Amino acid sequence: MSSGLSNNRIKPPATACGSDRSLRLGGSLILLLLITLLAAALLGSERLSFFDLNDQQRSILFDIRLPRILLGACVGASLAVAGAGLQALLRNPLAEPYLLGVSNGAALGTMLAFAFFESWSFARPIFAFAGAGIATFAVYQMAKGRAGMNVERLVLSGVIVTTFLSSIIVLMTSLLDAAKLRGFTFWLLGDLSQATIDGFYFTLAAAVVGTIVLSSQAKALNLMMIGERDAFDFGVEVGRVRIIVFSLSSILVGTAVAASGSVGYVGLIVPHLVRLAIGSDNRLVVPFSAISGAIFVVLADTVARTAIAPRELPVGAITALIGAPLFIYLLKRS
Amino acid sequence: MLRNFRLQPKRLVVAVILVSAAVTFGCESKINQPYSDTREVTDDLGRTVSVPNRIERAISLAPNLTEMIFAVGAGGKLVGVTTFCNYPVEAQQIRKVSDTQTPNIESIIALKPDIVFISTASQLETFMQTLEAQKIAVYVTNPQNVDEIIGNLRQFGTLFQSEGKAETLISELFRRIAEIGRKVDGQEKVRIFVQISNEPLFTIGSESFLTEIIERSGGVSVTKDVATAYPKLSKETALALNPEAIILSDSDDNKEPNYVFKNSPAFRNGKIFRINADMISRPGPRLVDAMEQLATALHPEKF
Repeated sequence: MSSGLSNNRIKPPATACGSDRSLRLGGSLILLLLITLLAAALLGSERLSFFDLNDQQRSILFDIRLPRILLGACVGASLAVAGAGLQALLRNPLAEPYLLGVSNGAALGTMLAFAFFESWSFARPIFAFAGAGIATFAVYQMAKGRAGMNVERLVLSGVIVTTFLSSIIVLMTSLLDAAKLRGFTFWLLGDLSQATIDGFYFTLAAAVVGTIVLSSQAKALNLMMIGERDAFDFGVEVGRVRIIVFSLSSILVGTAVAASGSVGYVGLIVPHLVRLAIGSDNRLVVPFSAISGAIFVVLADTVARTAIAPRELPVGAITALIGAPLFIYLLKRS
Repeated sequence: MLRNFRLQPKRLVVAVILVSAAVTFGCESKINQPYSDTREVTDDLGRTVSVPNRIERAISLAPNLTEMIFAVGAGGKLVGVTTFCNYPVEAQQIRKVSDTQTPNIESIIALKPDIVFISTASQLETFMQTLEAQKIAVYVTNPQNVDEIIGNLRQFGTLFQSEGKAETLISELFRRIAEIGRKVDGQEKVRIFVQISNEPLFTIGSESFLTEIIERSGGVSVTKDVATAYPKLSKETALALNPEAIILSDSDDNKEPNYVFKNSPAFRNGKIFRINADMISRPGPRLVDAMEQLATALHPEKF
């Protein structure tokens, strides 16, 4: 089986984790996250003097800026962990929720929930999850060929699912009441401006649970990266792990997209940089991706909030600006 | 490959329509030749457009232009409008050729229009070229301020030979605007936030004609210096602007002011006003109605 995957570029881990080096790295990443959060809180279209906040400035900080920063962190963590999980499972560094059409599936689900179950607030994340799950399943079925799953096949399947779902989204916006779905055109590009503290709690719960559960599967994923049959010989229940990873990534992408639209390329850039720094042991890649994803999206959104203030850019445009060139680079190398 | 195959039948249909149109028109023109003279007019973009002396078949690709054509009494000449053209009610009975964004070129050709009207507000510049390539006369309006919006009525009066009606309407509209100006003159200008949509938060900027409408109705837009016509605004800035009144362009997704305004003077004093979105967003004759509503809301003691 592994011979059919010779163009697989994620190397199985060679070293054990838990060394001093990885602990130090983890510690400094957490420190970096805290510094990023603090810096983001200091920056915005309105200047705040932090030593003497009046009621209005307090409201700007606590009702608007902080919920948005915290939501951005959770969205970044969710997308990066989903990307890391899919890459390990599919043994493919280009597996990314946005590029595989998983984000589009979640976006379509969110729009359907909004169009038909507007009053039911839980409909949006649930439909987003369902949409992400269906899209994941479709891509997997299409990419899985008799000769295994190579990079090109997976990317092409992702392109097909993405464009198919995009056309349904365009159809929906054309057929349904224009005013009702007007806000979605901006949201589709990834937009954190609609952050609320409730949305943050929900996304935080998904990000934390997702990271922990996926980390618990890291050992199995490490073995599966050598090859599914080899993993099976080691006693890994391959089918079960696959279902867990697909469900988790769908939940993570679903909640992230329901809260902020399609912020693309986070799941590509972040795990890639993490693997560059620490190798491909998933016991480290998964939690490190969570922290780094949070840092990355908070930084990108700080640019989106301040670059043309008081106007705003969609955060997805910033992440795509960085991610698309990296994608081409990775594709060229594989 | 697929694309080519799909286009073929379309091309065929267009060709058949063109041929039959040419045949029909050719026969007619033999009979009507002495009467069907053309004249040249200049539109807002400075283009010279050749139109028949008597325009009998007009198509409007913007709801504000449909309203203007009806206002000068030429609604009966409209053979095609957009799905957004809902005012006056008679406009709803006219054949729909587009939704402002994607006009159907085949429907337009089939209707054999003497002239097609486009507003720069709809951003149909590329479609204009498609129409010109089909030798269809295209007239573009591009008013830069309130006076020019009302001035467009004069052009429609000339085009449809109802100058008298147009002039009466124009002087009536300017009289009403002057009346508003007289009443709000010397009043303190109310600081207004115009909310175009709630989530995401869109408002009006320096390039929107509404900035001037507000100015002339006894208010001042708090976002008048923000670049572009309809910017997406930072919520922090929106909150810090402390508007004294909020105008909601009244549509399904814009019924309530954004939550960031919950402590604003506008919210505390109940100065939240909803104005029909069609009335306030279309650069047409009903803008004066919107101005009256706005001025009355801002300075009730004066009206």
